[in-house]
Amino acid sequence: MSEIVKGRILKINILRFDPNEPKILPHMETFEIEEAYGMTLYIVLNMIREHHDNSLMFDFVCRAGICGSCSMLVNGRPTLACRTLTSKLDENISLAPLPLFKLIKDLSIYTGEWMRYLNEHLETWIHDQEQELNVDKLEERMDPDLADEIYELDRCVECGCCVAGCGTIQMRPNFKGAVGLNKVARYHLDPRDKRTDEEYYELVGDDDGVFGCMTLLGCEDVCPKDLPLQSKIAYLRRMMIKTAIKN
Amino acid sequence: MRKKIDKMPAILDFLQSATGLVLALFIMGHILFEASILISNEMMYKVTLMFEGYYFFGERYPGIISFLAAAIFVIFIVHAGIAMRKFPASYKQYKTITKHTMRMKHEDSSLWAIQVITGFMMFFIGSVHLYIMMSQPSNIGPFASSSRVVDEFMGPLYFMLLLSVISHAFIGLYRLALKWGFMEGKNTEVSRGRFKFLMKAMIVAYIVIGLSSLAKYTYIGVTHDFSDGVRYKSETIKIGEHK
Amino acid sequence: MKIIYTDVLIIGGGLAGLRVATGVKQRGHAAVILTLVPPKRSHSAAAQGGMQASLANSKMGEGDNEDVHFSDTIKGSDWGADQKVARMFVHTAPKAIRELAAWGVPWSRVKKGSRTAIINAQKVTITEKDEAHGLITARDFGGTKKWRTCYTSDGTGHSMLYAMDNKAHQDKVEIHERLEAMSLITDEGRCYGAVARNLMTGELVAYISKATTIATGGYGRIYSVSTNAIICQGTGQALALETGIATLGNMEAIQFHPTAIVPVGILTTEGCRGDGGLLLDKDGYRFMPDYEPDKKELASRDVVSRRMTEHIRKGKGVKSRYGDHLWLDITILGRAHIEKNLREVKEICENFLGIDPAVDWIPVRPTQHYSMGGIRTKYTGESQTLKGLYSCGEAACWDLHGFNRLGGNSVSETVVSGMLVAEYISDFCDSYDSSIHIHSSKIEIALKKEKDKLETLLTNKHGEDAYVLRRRMEEIMMDKVGIFRNGKDLQEAVDELEELYKRSKNIEVFRSKSRAANPALVNAYRTQKMLKIALTVALGALLRTESRGAHSREDFPERDDENWLNRTITSWPNEGQTMPSVSYEKIEIDTMELPPGFRGYGKDLTKHHPDTKVRQEKVDAITEKLQAEGANRFEIQHALMPYLKKLPKKYRGTNERLGENV
Ligand SMILES: Cc1cc2nc3c(=O)[nH]c(=O)nc-3n(C[C@H](O)[C@H](O)[C@H](O)COP(=O)(O)OP(=O)(O)OC[C@H]3O[C@@H](n4cnc5c(N)ncnc54)[C@H](O)[C@@H]3O)c2cc1C
Ligand code: HEM
Ligand code: HEM
Ligand code: SF4
Ligand code: F3S
Ligand code: FES
Repeated sequence: MSEIVKGRILKINILRFDPNEPKILPHMETFEIEEAYGMTLYIVLNMIREHHDNSLMFDFVCRAGICGSCSMLVNGRPTLACRTLTSKLDENISLAPLPLFKLIKDLSIYTGEWMRYLNEHLETWIHDQEQELNVDKLEERMDPDLADEIYELDRCVECGCCVAGCGTIQMRPNFKGAVGLNKVARYHLDPRDKRTDEEYYELVGDDDGVFGCMTLLGCEDVCPKDLPLQSKIAYLRRMMIKTAIKN
Repeated sequence: MRKKIDKMPAILDFLQSATGLVLALFIMGHILFEASILISNEMMYKVTLMFEGYYFFGERYPGIISFLAAAIFVIFIVHAGIAMRKFPASYKQYKTITKHTMRMKHEDSSLWAIQVITGFMMFFIGSVHLYIMMSQPSNIGPFASSSRVVDEFMGPLYFMLLLSVISHAFIGLYRLALKWGFMEGKNTEVSRGRFKFLMKAMIVAYIVIGLSSLAKYTYIGVTHDFSDGVRYKSETIKIGEHK
Repeated sequence: MKIIYTDVLIIGGGLAGLRVATGVKQRGHAAVILTLVPPKRSHSAAAQGGMQASLANSKMGEGDNEDVHFSDTIKGSDWGADQKVARMFVHTAPKAIRELAAWGVPWSRVKKGSRTAIINAQKVTITEKDEAHGLITARDFGGTKKWRTCYTSDGTGHSMLYAMDNKAHQDKVEIHERLEAMSLITDEGRCYGAVARNLMTGELVAYISKATTIATGGYGRIYSVSTNAIICQGTGQALALETGIATLGNMEAIQFHPTAIVPVGILTTEGCRGDGGLLLDKDGYRFMPDYEPDKKELASRDVVSRRMTEHIRKGKGVKSRYGDHLWLDITILGRAHIEKNLREVKEICENFLGIDPAVDWIPVRPTQHYSMGGIRTKYTGESQTLKGLYSCGEAACWDLHGFNRLGGNSVSETVVSGMLVAEYISDFCDSYDSSIHIHSSKIEIALKKEKDKLETLLTNKHGEDAYVLRRRMEEIMMDKVGIFRNGKDLQEAVDELEELYKRSKNIEVFRSKSRAANPALVNAYRTQKMLKIALTVALGALLRTESRGAHSREDFPERDDENWLNRTITSWPNEGQTMPSVSYEKIEIDTMELPPGFRGYGKDLTKHHPDTKVRQEKVDAITEKLQAEGANRFEIQHALMPYLKKLPKKYRGTNERLGENV
């Protein structure tokens, strides 16, 4: 049971840049913070902002590892900062914004716009030809295990870590990435979505879709929600080949 | 009415894997056959004869090897052609992916980088080797091969080819399994771990075998003088007497 | 000057805001959502437990219906709720969940056959009916008679929010992210939209609309520790307050949860204690039996929270850099149990504390959790005083929760209120009434005013540090307007908050002078708004000299229906005043379906109202008579308190249930 002990002095190196003031080039800035029990990067960054530099920009919303807002590169790897304990890192910690996404300032990036575009493009909603839903009626049944399986894939928080962790998408920004492919797999699995295999093929049956994935597995290894990304991309790939054969 | 879908991406992706698989299986056999030299010169000789069809037709037809080499060459080219789509297409892409891989310090991303580099190397060395095999199919055997390794200075080339082809092939097979979800089981973390272990074990084993054979060829090459065009003479098999 | 015109402006992209948007969109009205963060990051995503709706599919939910849900809700509210609203809510909740099912939420389903569950640390076998197989299942939640809380594993809010946002994409709702509403635009008693600030570029934009909806969630962050997301700062309520016209209701009604981890305040589920976990103090001593010999750790949420606070005040808390806390010990449950049944707790401990709860104790303390109060509205979601302004979800007080909300009723409320309010708004937009008559000069003035405020903050000299004011406010709220309240502390709180509020008019943004993305500037103007909200809470609590629901006065421990069966209404009519104006709205007993009674915890300390007895007799008489005549439950309910006509036509249908109406 921990008590108050004198903590290490952490050196936090942050990559700073403000696109609104492009004259000041991107540069690293170092802050020193005394570590305390249970300290997370959320606490560290807020301390920096409150006591060292109030212009430091970063994003936290839930600070509980559920909303996916606070993804950044911690020592080069994408992860959720709010649930990263400093005790698991060494004294020298480097923080940088996720690459690829639009930079707002310092560690703050605009994942929302990117994800919205992706969702609109992949039409990540239930496609159902039926007319008006009668909400008074009993709901449609679903196999309990299937519901759990869909939920497993529904857990994605759109944090963008898999995007930042994927070399393919860094090279070819049109690639839909694991986040997109996982979503397609999720709807493909869902019996409420009435899209045909051919329609799915149209969505991801090309080199911007599932055939673009080069199995680098960065996505799988950095996903903070531990989604079975590799396995679902494989599933989708098999489906797409089947569809191609069928036609 | 069904919309017409563009099947090309699916075909290419499938072909890339299929050709990779065939090549990998071929290499697994190739290195083993070639390692017959480790058992004895005689063994290697027999293997050569086998490939030349001697045991089926009673006569040596080096043309079979030419043909085989040509077939492999075609697959090799097709594979390379398809796989090269995945190479960074510009300097910018190259920089991006290199930076990314350095920063991530992530094993599987680095494995891919190794595959690209080894693939690139093989494109040259492998072509040379295949061309020789195609054009001089009769120059294979415990002495002829050793001569090539030492006197024609193929040794260093083979060394590089060996390292690259073995790592490329087994990394390729590992990624093939994950790419298609082969035998993934309930817990993909466990199955992936197993595949990765297998991959590493195979790479080590094959490199040891390959290096040993290469050493033997080199040894034979250094200890013999083939300048007079000596051929290996088997004590047991007399060509022409078999019938 | 950038002006964007639309039919319906919705401030807030959580569950409530999104549902309003799709609703009005389907009725053919243009809708724009403003939100601080991408909608999927809204705090609604944090709801793990579930959503209440009386589907009665699972074995333990058998016999459930709207009536049971209604009475649970009213009791939970300590009779502070508006009973008609509660009726409308319980009637629509099953529809809401079914709609969500069709939109893609992967609700956990009933699996036929037997399974073992742990209830009160006892192993119990539950056998589900064959005919329920594949229907939406439910779990147990505090304060409910039946198992009614529908869920998707441990991510209910997340799945709901994602399905809803995707639906909004499908319906092509316009969503403007990272835009913060700064003030409402009003003219002659009517709301015409809002001035918003782009948090990336700093640009100010005026949104002009027929109807404006505030769905900005709660205001938990006026407290130093809260389970709420850090954007739950009450700026929505402040927007309404600052119009001087709109009013807030029951702001002092704040719910606390006993076991959030220290320091970050993330919730650990009640299941820890349910399964047999213990609360220990700094000496490792189990103190709950001393306070509650009967229920011990398993007393209700607010009671446990109060006892923990009492114990900490006695100096028995564990000291830490982040303040005092207590221990939650679940090591006794064993690793197997924890890894199987309390997976989520284990993950939180690992990720946020770096401890293993099978070996280590978990540092916990009671933490602010939910805001029952909010923008006071009619049952239609429209402000009682400002035409064209609507509000729903946690931001509003239409008043479903009274002084205490039931777990699982809140996400349910967001969706239901979104559904209903969307219809009322659409009706309004369809009417001639809704046409816009605001002169563009007024819009310019509104924009200019905001611009000037920001300039002042940035150019002020020798001003106050917003962080200092804000931290002090948070501490005051925690220490003096917390779980336990008393006149002395509250008076001090109000006085000091007023002082802070005055100082906040002179805030200076130090060093960081950017007009674009500038977190220091954001903190500055939000602190000003938060202080106003804090004042409404503290003042409301000071004046309410009784204990009701979550509002617990040590100096007035009894619920006092005679004097306090009412809602606190706060407003800020004059910009110059440094304290909100307070009035009260009576809660009528003689139209209640369920007259005030005893909530059922501890001793009954209620001072009853004389009308209660009269109404109870009347209710009993009507019920008895109709029952004798063979009337069904709908007819009896209708005779006691008709509400169906208030609902939009499309939601008036009777809900199907297994064995009822199918
Ligand atoms: C840890 C936790 C667990 C919970 N679990 C449950 C549960 O199991 N069951 C249950 O029923 N309830 C639960 N709740 C409560 C429930 O989650 C919330 O009450 C509900 O989700 C609120 O939804 P909302 O749509 O009203 O607001 P929110 O989801 O909070 O959305 C608010 C929106 O407003 C926007 N916004 C705010 N201010 C502005 C502004 N000035 N300008 C523009 N946009 C603005 C934000 O960006 C956001 O999009 C829980 C709450 C917490 C804290
Ligand atoms: C000119 C020579 C070669 C080049 C340029 C080349 C290139 C590549 C590249 C770039 C990949 C990765 C493709 C991807 O990421 O999707 C790849 C995959 C692969 N290669 Fe090669 N390669 C060559 C020869 C070989 C040889 C000789 C073998 C067999 C020994 C082989 C076996 C494989 C396998 C099994 C894969 C995995 C297939 C897949 O991912 O679909 N390659 N190759
Ligand atoms: C049908 C085609 C092929 C034939 C007939 C063939 C035959 C041979 C022979 C006879 C040798 C012994 C050395 C020699 O005689 O020069 C050899 C060595 C070697 N070959 Fe091939 N080969 C073929 C294709 C390939 C391919 C496609 C590759 C890989 C790209 C390859 C890689 C190697 C390597 C690495 C060695 C050196 C082995 C060692 O180190 O022991 N070969 N090959
Ligand atoms: S798949 Fe995982 S890493 Fe990618 S966005 Fe979703 S949660 Fe983040
Ligand atoms: S990292 Fe990228 S290449 Fe595929 S396996 Fe993951 S998407
Ligand atoms: S702040 Fe929500 S995941 Fe980190």
